[in-house]
Amino acid sequence: MSHLAKLITMNNAYDDLVRRTLSGIPCDLARLIYVASTRDYNSGMYHHEGLAARYGAESTRVALRAAHKDIFYKLVALPLEELVVELETYVRISREAPTGFIHAWQELEPYRVAVPMEVDSTMVLFFLSNIRLALEVLQLRQQHVQERQPTSSPQRLLGR
Amino acid sequence: MGGSPVTLTSILILTSMIVVALLLWVRHDNEMEESSSRGSTGSKWKGVPDSAPRAEFVSRIFSREDREFVVLLGSPRLLRMYGKERSAVAVDWARRTSRDVSRIMRRHRLSSRHSRNLDVATETKLLLQYLRLRFICGLLVLLIRSFGPYALSDLAAYTSELYQGIGRMLPEGSLTDRLAAADDTKTY
Repeated sequence: MSHLAKLITMNNAYDDLVRRTLSGIPCDLARLIYVASTRDYNSGMYHHEGLAARYGAESTRVALRAAHKDIFYKLVALPLEELVVELETYVRISREAPTGFIHAWQELEPYRVAVPMEVDSTMVLFFLSNIRLALEVLQLRQQHVQERQPTSSPQRLLGR
Repeated sequence: MGGSPVTLTSILILTSMIVVALLLWVRHDNEMEESSSRGSTGSKWKGVPDSAPRAEFVSRIFSREDREFVVLLGSPRLLRMYGKERSAVAVDWARRTSRDVSRIMRRHRLSSRHSRNLDVATETKLLLQYLRLRFICGLLVLLIRSFGPYALSDLAAYTSELYQGIGRMLPEGSLTDRLAAADDTKTY
């Protein structure tokens, strides 16, 4: 395959990924987590069966890597307030209890594995720091919600 | 006004001492930083092309908007956390910019040894810009630790411009290329 043909295939794979898969995901943070989940923890290689069947494994890897970085840069560029909205949306679509979700993310820091490889180290530091802050903001809001609820509320007892 | 020459001399001596102390501190700071990165073998982002981040990203680190948002939430704990987190990122950026430009200049010095047509005026200007940038980076670290990053957005933007300016003054290649080349010449 010529160099130009390879480029066209990679571009098509990227467009397909963005148009058909990522556009169906409601927020950028969820998109980041989704794309990161297609990456093998041990090798750092991206895999996507559907895309690979259409465009080949190599073009798929390139497309996923590019999309991963693009979404990461978008999230890094967000003001903290908007990142909090992203996180709120992500908590909502995860269908987990907010209190449990926030606690798990603060303890386990799973968002660390969502960072793409080969990106600027200060950007990574900034992103991780902003997520920690956004979690703290959500926790604060959650505390306010709980304070307003009556103590006998079954929802509060269940942590929801 | 009989005492003013003495006062002026004292001020000059004091300023010079502060400048020298700051330069020595920046140097020491960078040496500590380099030796710690030499010692750490488990860094996740080792081998990444470590070019200083783009100007728009710098404005995000030093943003006042985020601080205003945090202040409005009215939680002293969150505000403290925000100050600590953002200062750490800002200090990292200032240190990295200083370290990156040192690497670039080291590389430039090595390649200049083989050059036959060095322009003394350009080299002098380059050296002065380099010293200015190193000084400002040191000053930034000091100010970030003292006052937090949000009041320093203009100085940070100026630092970023100065850094890019050094890249433009160098004979050829982008800053990233130069950093990649400088990486090859590292002794560790």
